[in-house]
Amino acid sequence: MVTVQRAIEMLGVPTVLITVEPEESAQARPPRALCPRGFVAGHSLGRAGDEALQKWIVMDALSLLREPARPGEVVRRDYT
Amino acid sequence: MEKPLELSRYCVPFTPFVKPLEESLVCLVTTAAVRARNDAPFNVEGDNTWRRIEGSLSAKDLTYDDAHYDHACVDRDLNCVFPIDRLASLAREGRIAGATSEHFSMGFSQALRELRETTVPQLARAAAAARPDAVLLTGG
Repeated sequence: MVTVQRAIEMLGVPTVLITVEPEESAQARPPRALCPRGFVAGHSLGRAGDEALQKWIVMDALSLLREPARPGEVVRRDYT
Repeated sequence: MEKPLELSRYCVPFTPFVKPLEESLVCLVTTAAVRARNDAPFNVEGDNTWRRIEGSLSAKDLTYDDAHYDHACVDRDLNCVFPIDRLASLAREGRIAGATSEHFSMGFSQALRELRETTVPQLARAAAAARPDAVLLTGG
């Protein structure tokens, strides 16, 4: 996943990744990444039908684009 | 002749984001093997192909082919891994400008060399050609 992200970023497009495997993602050095803490694969954006939570996470991820650069880091946040 | 320089894995590529989010078109890229229902299925055992997903579709028009992540959430709401309806909602609220005309998806594969040399460059170029202001990537 980070390989794809890095390739897109190299083409001049800003990217942000939502990951539920932060250790694995950090090793691959993502340009920007958000880990919603405690979520697992298949639930990257939280619970089924929880539109408010999913939008919150999408907006948090997109907001990383506007924040000071932390290249290679995975930002972990709680959503409970 | 020497080989062209390659980006070290210790180096992080970084493109500055300069637009307000409210004026930005967002493209989704996923490795969760999501596709349009009428598109060809992914092979869940391993597949190095990728799919385009029209930006005008909604989650009910999509499905997935996977045997590697928990499906309890996606079987009820594909936005759990591919938030296409949530982007549309954020656009209606004016928090982003909208989605690109296409999103992109790939599936599970262990053919790493082909992924690195063929699939990923193709998919990255296609995503950049969709002219997004930002790309949001999701796994399974």
